[in-house]
Formats: sequence, C-alpha cells, structure tokens
Amino acid sequence: MKLASLIPSHPNSTSLGTGLALGASILLAACGSAATPAPTAPAASASTAATSSSVPASARPSADAGSASKPAASASTAAAASAGASAAAQAKPAAPVPLTLYAATGYDDAMAKAFQTATGIPVNLVADSTGPLLAKIQAEKNNPQWSMVWIDGAEAIAALDQQGMLLRGYTPNVDWSAQGKSLLPKNQSYFPMHVTVVGVLFYDSKNLSSPPATWQDLLKPEWKNMVGMNNPSISGPTYPFVAGVMDQMGGEDQGKAYFKQLKSNGLQVFNKNKDTLHAMDIGQIKMSAVQSSAGYAILDKNPTLKAVYPSKVVLLPNVMAIDGKAPAQVQAEAKQFAEFALSPKGQQIAADEARDGDSWHWPVLNGGKALPGMPDINSIPAAAVDPYVWGPKEDEINQWFTDNIVP
Amino acid sequence: MVHGQHRSVATSYLPLDLERTDQARHTGAWSALRRAPRLLWPALWVVFGLLLLLPTASFLLLAFSPAAFGQGSEWLTLSPFLAALSGPTLRGLIDSFGVACATAALSLTLACGLAWLVQRTTLRAKAFWNLLIWALMLMPSYLSVVGWESLMEPKGVLDRLGLDAAGLHQLFFGPLGIVWVLATKGLPFAFLAVSAGMLGLGQQFEDAARVHGAGPWASIRMVLPIIAPALWSGAAIVFAEGMSDFGVASTLAAASHFPVATYTLYRAVGSIPIRFPVASAVGWFLILAVGLALIVQYRALNGRSFSIINGRTRPVAPRQLGLLGQLAAQMAVGGLFLVALGVPLLGAVSASLLGDFSGGFNLHSLTLATYQRVLSTPSLLSPVLLSARMGAISASAAIVLGVLLARILSRRQSSVSGRTADLLLLGAVALPSIVLGAGYIFAYNLNVLASIGLQLYGTLFLLGMAYAAACLPHTARLLVGPISQIQGSLLEAARVHGSGEAAAWTSTVLPLLTRALLWAWLYTFGHIVFELPISELLYPAGQQPLPVAVVKRLESYDFAGGSAMLLLTAMAMLAMIGLVLAVFKRLTPRGWQLQQKSA
Repeated sequence: MKLASLIPSHPNSTSLGTGLALGASILLAACGSAATPAPTAPAASASTAATSSSVPASARPSADAGSASKPAASASTAAAASAGASAAAQAKPAAPVPLTLYAATGYDDAMAKAFQTATGIPVNLVADSTGPLLAKIQAEKNNPQWSMVWIDGAEAIAALDQQGMLLRGYTPNVDWSAQGKSLLPKNQSYFPMHVTVVGVLFYDSKNLSSPPATWQDLLKPEWKNMVGMNNPSISGPTYPFVAGVMDQMGGEDQGKAYFKQLKSNGLQVFNKNKDTLHAMDIGQIKMSAVQSSAGYAILDKNPTLKAVYPSKVVLLPNVMAIDGKAPAQVQAEAKQFAEFALSPKGQQIAADEARDGDSWHWPVLNGGKALPGMPDINSIPAAAVDPYVWGPKEDEINQWFTDNIVP
Repeated sequence: MVHGQHRSVATSYLPLDLERTDQARHTGAWSALRRAPRLLWPALWVVFGLLLLLPTASFLLLAFSPAAFGQGSEWLTLSPFLAALSGPTLRGLIDSFGVACATAALSLTLACGLAWLVQRTTLRAKAFWNLLIWALMLMPSYLSVVGWESLMEPKGVLDRLGLDAAGLHQLFFGPLGIVWVLATKGLPFAFLAVSAGMLGLGQQFEDAARVHGAGPWASIRMVLPIIAPALWSGAAIVFAEGMSDFGVASTLAAASHFPVATYTLYRAVGSIPIRFPVASAVGWFLILAVGLALIVQYRALNGRSFSIINGRTRPVAPRQLGLLGQLAAQMAVGGLFLVALGVPLLGAVSASLLGDFSGGFNLHSLTLATYQRVLSTPSLLSPVLLSARMGAISASAAIVLGVLLARILSRRQSSVSGRTADLLLLGAVALPSIVLGAGYIFAYNLNVLASIGLQLYGTLFLLGMAYAAACLPHTARLLVGPISQIQGSLLEAARVHGSGEAAAWTSTVLPLLTRALLWAWLYTFGHIVFELPISELLYPAGQQPLPVAVVKRLESYDFAGGSAMLLLTAMAMLAMIGLVLAVFKRLTPRGWQLQQKSA
C-alpha cells in the first residue's frame, strides 16, 4: 500500500491522458497485485531467544556437529543455544527486525528458514552467485540494505573490509577447531562457516591408476594434455586456487612461470567446475582440478571417481560478515544467526540440505565431521592464502591468466 | 509538420476508454482532456526520465564523479576513462564495435530475404515459419552457444558421429562464432522491422516500377529505399543489441581470446576490486558508438518522409511461387532455421542423451521425474509463476509507453525531442542491462528517499519498473516501423467522414497497429521472463524471479532442475503465444486481420 501511494490516484489524473494513466495504472497494478506481504514473524517471539539462558557456546559439546544420528534439537534448545551472550543482552525488549541475508551458499535457504522457526526473527534471503551479490553490496555502499553476507572465499570480503564496510571485532563464540581459528582475521571482520579445498584432482580410477602427488609432478611428460582446470575469470572459487599455487611457488612471478610451464605441458582451461568435470566425463582430460564440493557431490554417485590432493591444495573458507553500518539490533540478530548456523542444529542443516554441492564441506569446529567418504581435513596438505594480500591482485592476475593461459 | 498539427494528432492518440459521448462532451473531464496534450508530453518525459534517464544518468555520472555514490573519493576526475581506454577494456570496445557492425549487416541481409519470402510470396507454411521466428527470438543466446559447443567440442556429438569438427570448433570460438550467434539472435528483430516495412508497402510501388520496364532487381532497388526506415530501424537495433549482449560475451567471447566491451564492463562490476566508475566509462563509449551509428542513419535517410500507408495503399498480390520456386524457398528458409535454431537445440538435447553412453557420470540427465519435481516443489515453481506475472504486468506497461514513445520517434524528422529520444533509447539498448540494474540501485537507494519513506529499492514495484524500462527501448523501436508508416491523412480522412478523434483513432490506426502491438507484447514478455542481470540486482529478498532461481540451481550443481525450469518456461511461453495468436484471430474483426492474410 505504501507503494500505491506513490502514484496519485487523484480523479484529475485522468486528464493527463489515458495513455499515461494506463501506463501508470499498469505499474500500479504491478505493485498492488505483485507485492506480496513481507514474511511475517512466526509466533515464537524474540523473547524466547532473549530470555533464554545464554550458555556460552564454547561450553557446549559440539562433538555431535557432523553426526547424523542425533535427533534434531528442538526449536527452543536451538534458540537457547544460538542466543549468544552479547546478542541476548542487547536484543531484550525490542521486537525482532527482519534480517537481510545475501548468500551464495548451498544450504543458505534451509538455514534461514530453520533460524526463523527457532528464533522468530524473519530472514529475507537474497540468494545468488557471488558476483552479483558483491556488485549489489558495492552499489548500496551509501545505504546498505544487507545485514549479512555469506559466500565462498575471503578475498572479496577482505576487499569490503578494506573499505570499512564490515562490522569488526566480533567472532562467534563457538568451539573453533585449530584450522577454524587460523582462518579468523586479526580485526575480526569476518569468520569462517565451513571450508572446502580447491585444486583437488578428481580422476576416474578406471582410466588412471597412479595420480600425481605434487604440482611439480604435473609438469612431467607423463601428464601431458591430461589436466584441466577452471578459468579464474569466470569461476569464482578458482582465483584462490591460482593465488594459492602462486603463493606456494614463492610469489606472483614464480607462480606465473609455473602456470606457463603447465600450459606448455597441455593444461586445458574450462569455464567452471561443471565444464571441467564434463571435459573429464567425455574423455577430453583425465584429471580435473576443481573445488572439492563439486567433485564429492558427483563422486557420491560415481564410486569409480577418486580424489587426490597434490601438495598443497588451497583452503577455501566459506565466510560470513556483518554489515558495519547496520543498526545495533540487526547486528545482534546477525550474531545470533551466525551462532545458530555454527550450533549443532545448524551444522546438521549444513550437512544435510545441500547434498548436490555445499554439504560436501569440512566443518570448522572441534569435533565437526565431514560427510562419509571425505578424508579427514587434517590429513590433507592444504594452505590458505592471505586475502588481504592476494585479494587486491585478483583482477590483474585473472587478466594475466586469460591472456596467457586460457587457450 | 507544423506544431499545431502535431498536437491534434497527439490528441487523437489518447483515449481508448474515454469515448466521446454527448454527456461527456460538456463535462470538466472532457475539457480537461482537450487540454491534455499540453500536459501529456511533459508528463511522459517525466515518466521516461524516472524509468530510464535517471538511473542511466546516475550510472554514467560515476565515470566523472566516483564520489557521488560512494564509489571513490574523487568528485571530478577523468581517470576512469583512461582506465577504460587501456589494455583489455580498449580491446573489448574495438572488438564490440566490429562485431556489432558485422552482426547488423548479416542479420539485416538474412532478414530481408526471409521477410520478402514470408510477406511477398506464396510461400507455404507461413504460420509455422512465423512461430519459428518467435522461437528464435526467445532462445537465450547462451543456450545457443551451449548447443554449438556440445556439437563441436572434442568428443562432442559430431566427433562421436565420426566427423572431424576440430576446424569448425576453432572457427566457432572466435569472432565468426560470436557474429553468427548474435546475428541469429538479432534476426527476428530485423525480420519484424523489415516485415513491418514490407507490410505497409502497397503493391503500387512495385507495379509502378514494373510498368516502367524495371526488372526484378531494379524493382528491388526502387523498393528498398522506400522501406529504408524499417531497414535502418532493424539494423540499428541489431547493432545496439550486438554491442550490449551478455549471453555470448560471457560464454563464447570469454572462452576465446576475444574480449568484448560488455564482458569487460561486467568484469569491472562483478569481480574485485569492483570498479563501477570504470564500468561507467565503458558505458559512455558504448553510447558513443550508438551515437555514431545514428548519425550514419540520419545521413542516409537525409530527412525524407517515409510514411507509406495511406488511403490509397493497394493490397499486395503475393508473388506466385512455382513448384521449383516453392521448393527452393522452403529449402532456403528451412536451411536458415536449421542452422540458426535446429542445430544448437539439437546439440543441447543430443548431448544430454549421449551422456548416457559415454560410460561416465552424467551431469545433464533430464528425466520426466525432474519436471515433476519442478512442478511439485513450491520453491522451484514459485519463481516461474512470479516471473510470468511480472512479465505480463511490465510488458503491458512497456507497450503503452512504447506506443507513445514510438510516436515521438516517428516524428523525428521534424522534432528535436524525437531525435533526442531516439539517441537515448538506442543508447539504452546498447548498454547491457546490468547498467540499468546498477543505475536503479544508485538512483533509488538514496538515504534521502529512505528518510521520507520512499525505500523503493528492494520492492517488486521497482523491479517491475526496471523490467519495463529495460524493454521499453526495444518495444518502442519495434513499434516505430508500423507507427511511422501511418500517415496523418488517414486520420484526417476518418475525421472528414464524421468520426470523432477517438473513433478515428480506433477505426484507422488501431487496426493497423494491433498485430504489431501483439507481437511486441509477446516479445517484451519473453524478454522480461528471461532477464537475468536486472533480476539479480533488484529482486526483493525472498522473492526469487525465474532467472535467479535457475542460476542458483545451476550453481549448486542441480543442472537437471535448472534446465527443467528453463525448458518448462520456454514451452509454456510458446504455448501462450500460440494461444494469444489464436484468440487474436478469433476475436478481432475481420478487417483488422487484413494484413494477416499477407503474412
């Protein structure tokens, strides 16, 4: 109705000419009939969350994070668990305000719904690929509409932080694993929700028996024309891989030299995960260097597919950050959301709700277990890149890659 | 054209529902209506300003003043232009210009042949060919690329059939492939524009040429200049479309070493560091290119008048095709559609079928169960319904505004505002829709607006506005052809015979336009339903339109689900087009269908 009032429906307006009025009325109809009411908060009100005990999350046993046997925690316990100390203190009397979540994570929808059910805080989800979400956030800079952003890769998030757009000094109060802790930035402007790795080589064991063990191995003649990877200009998670390999080779220049050698040994570049895997499917290549979640989702249904981790693959944290300009209540609720997603109930959703992709990840909490069939993350030779160092180079390196490596 | 005359015609465009009645004649409403023209056109400009000008200008302002919307610290600078004129961005601009020129030329040539066969000969199965033209228009360019790719890739369909496609593959992944896909995408547009010209072209011109001893070629030489406005209109829009296409830019052009401007613009906006000011500068150059194209067009038309449907237009006697002629024509048209539509579709479909035989894992398996899943899962079905509803509403708004705009455009020979509108609209076509989407955020997500309760960004209303705005330039240009051919004398004749202004309009102009309006609406609807960048940037949280939902499915590796959603929508749309056309045929007076006989 607020929208309808934008266009005067004054009797004299017809005098402007029917054509114009007709156009206006059609648009008016657009807002009248198409604008459905915003999702209303479920009966469970904020008070459930606010008055519930604020047990420090770190005190909770989180050993069951990944286990599927535990029955789902009831809504009230989840709410209790998710209400972090700070959130509970701040959000006491106020009615919940809706959170706006910008997300490109497979199970974001399921998580948002579960959180809303558990806490009564409505979550409006904008789910899309990473590129458009970042473009929106950047364009909204003067008047941000998002409360939280949740995507793969810390480089873009670090770039937002460097513009002072993120809430700093907050880390969810949960039982981080050592790896989880290692991914937390010093200024606490974002935090990991799970990790995948990029650069894992998937191959069909029917066609290949002894895969290579290091990146240097791939330069040997025996692997000529056998390896495919994604184009970092097109595939979001591939830039961290390129950056990671460059980092391991000793820097950008050495890294560029390595990729050139790889190219002369017949490296093939495809657009995205699915294209590279497809090229392997049709026999164009024998190995695909892709994101682990993409491969494991397919491996699940194709047991002859195997994964090998050349030393070293690149850790790709899936991260969340909170809008630094959001009102205090929104920030408090956003913290509640983060701790809910990292609670046992949230971790169960993460493992269950995106079995065609992002559920195939490793948790970042102590005791968190990956889905069956995935190796222990600690057994994988993996390293992360510093997003504050490699993030700003993304455009330049991607351009170089397109010019020099893409065939 | 005198100003007063201009106005009286304008009045006659007004009311469909304000039929002049005796009671109404003396009431305030009617006299207000008589005054309306004075208010109508300025009001119209305000509407266009809000829909198109303000958002686009906001985006373009960033090239000079990044600080205006928080995208940098400088209030006045030229550095984004320097960045745009270097390295890959400059290469992208040059490539895009070349591609757009070649695309326009190829598209127009094909369209002329096709339109002549369909409109001017006794070609059989015209209804079928017409439907295929629409199928072609609705096919997203990236689907076409995917189809060609799966045909020609190593171990692709051709390869497995024992045909060596390596050479073709090489050829396709470069400028040639890009031009071909874009030209086939632009073909329906050029076809409609040229057809509109040919429909309006009475037999008398050809007769006159033949009477004076001209052979077929000389007749064509004589007729071409007469339908030149339609040709130019078609060429201009294909050119601008070629500059702004993203489907091909993001697939073919990105994968081959052939950066085009849209892609560099998109990269400036979609990868970090996000640089809206540089994207804005690229936008300026795209508009400049279209400006050049328009100057060429004005020069070529040289201010002549091209209204050709008048009271004396004689019905066309279609050229009789003999058996051989018919056969040759069918083969030509069939061959064209086979290559433009059939081959890529075949590629896409056969790849999914062949996947089962490759012995590997099949990413693309599409079964009936997938369709069932889409239809029975609310989260998958609701985006389809939302987009259909938004498409219908915004397309209707765009048509109403499009008619008014087309009238301004059709007067461009005599009016400055017409020329301005022309440049602005074609410029808007040349800008990829991500520019409009981002422009809407800059213009309508202001703190000032929010503080007075006008938080438009994030509402379906604004999304609908942007959809209408994105289509308006196309819609208006589609209608310029038909509208510019209607001479004022038709209306005057009707008035002389005692019709009121409104009646004169409904009895003369409307019948001539209905068919064009119908097609334009259907096109606009289809365009909106598949519009990705605007949907991504402006959709209200929690209400995913179809394109975003599909991308989301594909991103999470549910290829079958995503494809099923796309194919279901495409099929539903084709069914709807068939239905609308059938209803049109049944319900409209016979006289209105006069043109249809020749089509």
